[in-house]
Amino acid sequence: MTRSWMLLTLALFALPATAANLRYAEDQAPAIVNPLFGSTMAEARVNELLFDGLYTDNQDLATTPALAASGELSPDKTEMTITLRDDVTWQDGKPFVANDVVFTIQAMQDKTTLSTEAGRAAFIKTATALDEHTVKLKFARPESRPEDKLLFKILPAHAFAGTSVKRTDGFRNKPVGTGPWELVKYNEDNSVSFTTNGSYRTPVGLSEMTMREVSDKNYQAKLLLYESLEALVRVLPRDLAMLQNNRKVELYPYQTNSWWYVGFNATHAPYDDVNVRKAMSALVDVPSLLAPVGTGDLLSGPFVKSSPYYNHDVNPVANDENAAETLFAAAGYTKVGGAWSKGGKPLTVRIAAHQSLESAQEVAINLQSQLQSAGLTVNVEFLDDAAWKGRVWREHDFDLILSQWTFDRNEDVREQFHSQGARNFTGYKNPEVDALLDKARDAADPFVRKTALREVHKRVHDDAPMVFLWTLDSYAAMSVKVKNVVIHPFYFFTFATGWQMK
Amino acid sequence: MTGPAPAPGLDEPEVVLPVSRRGARLLGAVAMRVAAFVATVLGAVLLVEVLLTLAPGDAIDLLPNGDELRVGLAAEWGLDKPLPERLVATLGRMARGDLGTSLTWRPGASVAELVADTGARSLLLLAPALLLGVALAVALGAWSARGGTRLLRLVQAVSVVPAFLAAYVLVMGINAATWALIERGAIARPDWFALPDTPSAVRTALAIGVLAVASGGLTEMHAACDAELRRLRAAPFVDAARARGAPTWPVILHNLVPPLADIAASRAAWLLGSLVVVEKLLLYSGAGAALWQACRLRDYPVAIGITLVAAIVVAGTRLVADLVRLAVDPRLRSAG
Repeated sequence: MTRSWMLLTLALFALPATAANLRYAEDQAPAIVNPLFGSTMAEARVNELLFDGLYTDNQDLATTPALAASGELSPDKTEMTITLRDDVTWQDGKPFVANDVVFTIQAMQDKTTLSTEAGRAAFIKTATALDEHTVKLKFARPESRPEDKLLFKILPAHAFAGTSVKRTDGFRNKPVGTGPWELVKYNEDNSVSFTTNGSYRTPVGLSEMTMREVSDKNYQAKLLLYESLEALVRVLPRDLAMLQNNRKVELYPYQTNSWWYVGFNATHAPYDDVNVRKAMSALVDVPSLLAPVGTGDLLSGPFVKSSPYYNHDVNPVANDENAAETLFAAAGYTKVGGAWSKGGKPLTVRIAAHQSLESAQEVAINLQSQLQSAGLTVNVEFLDDAAWKGRVWREHDFDLILSQWTFDRNEDVREQFHSQGARNFTGYKNPEVDALLDKARDAADPFVRKTALREVHKRVHDDAPMVFLWTLDSYAAMSVKVKNVVIHPFYFFTFATGWQMK
Repeated sequence: MTGPAPAPGLDEPEVVLPVSRRGARLLGAVAMRVAAFVATVLGAVLLVEVLLTLAPGDAIDLLPNGDELRVGLAAEWGLDKPLPERLVATLGRMARGDLGTSLTWRPGASVAELVADTGARSLLLLAPALLLGVALAVALGAWSARGGTRLLRLVQAVSVVPAFLAAYVLVMGINAATWALIERGAIARPDWFALPDTPSAVRTALAIGVLAVASGGLTEMHAACDAELRRLRAAPFVDAARARGAPTWPVILHNLVPPLADIAASRAAWLLGSLVVVEKLLLYSGAGAALWQACRLRDYPVAIGITLVAAIVVAGTRLVADLVRLAVDPRLRSAG
């Protein structure tokens, strides 16, 4: 009786399902679809669908022309002349021309635009259109591989009144690009629909895509299993077992340029003392912290293991309580009644963790447990995005932080470890590291850059401004209906033109 | 005399006053309630602005290079002004009927339009949930008055489940059961499947049900209704109707209206609080979910706009309930 009633109820709502497009989930719909103002990964991924850069990555993650047809670097490496493709049109039918490139660079550099991407064009001194399909760029200093920095997206000059672009400009939800898909509309349920750009220069396998906002991550894997989605950008470690045992789902591992760390606030005592930082580093059992949240590579410095800049001669800090005791003693601490203190004052630590960092809760609580059992008093707090930026970045109001850095292919750690770096909120300072980072930035020879950054790795490891934790193994999950899947580790959809659905 | 003692004030003899004094007292009572309405709305709006301003981090901090953009954006968004000046500016804008534009959630969009869109969707949950709650509470009150305790205990046990847990368990349970039937070929895939991804009548019904029942809401409403029903059944005018041989339920229902309005008004405030949780969990694009996003993204104009409307709804419901009681109950008019 109960079963019949249930069947009847369900049948009342039963209609045939239609799923002709690829639906993928994001935690939050993009607020602004304008590459000048990108601030979230969801926006970066949508920009990848809609826009092109002069250059892009190929599947070996080497730079390859996109809107550029070819480029010629001057002998002194301070100028580059780029010939543009002449077969590209904007999604509104207008032709793509050199003025669009000049406009985009000038808009990024325009102080009144307040672009979040301004830094990406800072290396360009001037941009000039020589003719409809030729652009000349002059650089602020010699550039050995400028094409590696010309990956930013190009905007249509004709869609804007001038180079002073506002975040609130109507372009933000009616974007016009040259990319493989066009934005159709923002839907009432916060999803966003895309369709193929009919004039795109290569065939596009998927005719439609839909970004669905699934703000509660607990639902995402289930929705994939129930065939309400076809793609998950990143699978939570706890969902891996469930998905890998399902015959309708395929997991795709991919390497991200992301690493987790516990950072010390070197702007105040006792974390300005390298002995204290090293002692606390030695108290952290990194493999035990990693085990509950997934698998990955343990790190000894600020690069992922697959990076050319990773220094394989440097080993991760070992968990060694004896070494920690020696270091604490050198810093003037004594252990009384099982607790470390100095001048009668117990060593109390405040750990701030980023709330939106997946699995941060487990890691922070386990870290707290490890440090407390070693004789420290530890308090943990979880901060949302705004609180994180305010408290940690701006006010430097923390002792330890648990977070993650994610980099694009350039893996430029200058902002994090240079004493003048905008993101060096741990207050790390080492003149030798500054010099090495400057040398890496200015190097025309890739080998010089690589050598300098490997040395940075070693010096930073020795100074212990952070406990370098791990790079997590990342997995995307796709319905088996989606074929020819190749994933870009940062922008995800770079190679999606080749994806197909059965 | 048996039964509970009459509620103080309501069953006392009516004090007869001269017409002019009664009119003045009525006006005074209405004026006090209108003043309370205005104070509640202004207080709520100012409190939200103060709390959001004092919370660590602001809208600019959410941008990757917020430090570099701070001077320009702070001036553009009015975040460079001290708190008192911002409060005055907010009140000035509200007085002109201008709620401003969204900063970070829907940059550049009119807050008035966002609030109207999301508020209308939320109203489709709130109003039915309120009505359902009242209807269930009255029905349960009538049932328990006849000694139906088993059902009452069951309802109490279900109602005590927190809204977030109820919504999550229901979504997971319904999905699992439906998927099992689909996999077996027992049913075709319903268009609402899988919850809560797709907007559908099932998802809306689920949200209404959770709002009406969960987090102890139904139990509380039932307790209030039950107390009123018991009081009314023991009231002298009901005894008089009974003695005349007339049906008592019209008398009881008529006298139940004022306390029901009061109960519903109290419940409306609670429902608005639950709305944030339920909309978030059921991925419903209403004002509750928008408020959560606005607070998370430090979108002050949107958060203040939604708070303003929510405060008007809550305080307005209370005002209407008070006015209904004043209109229906002559003793309250006399008492002021």
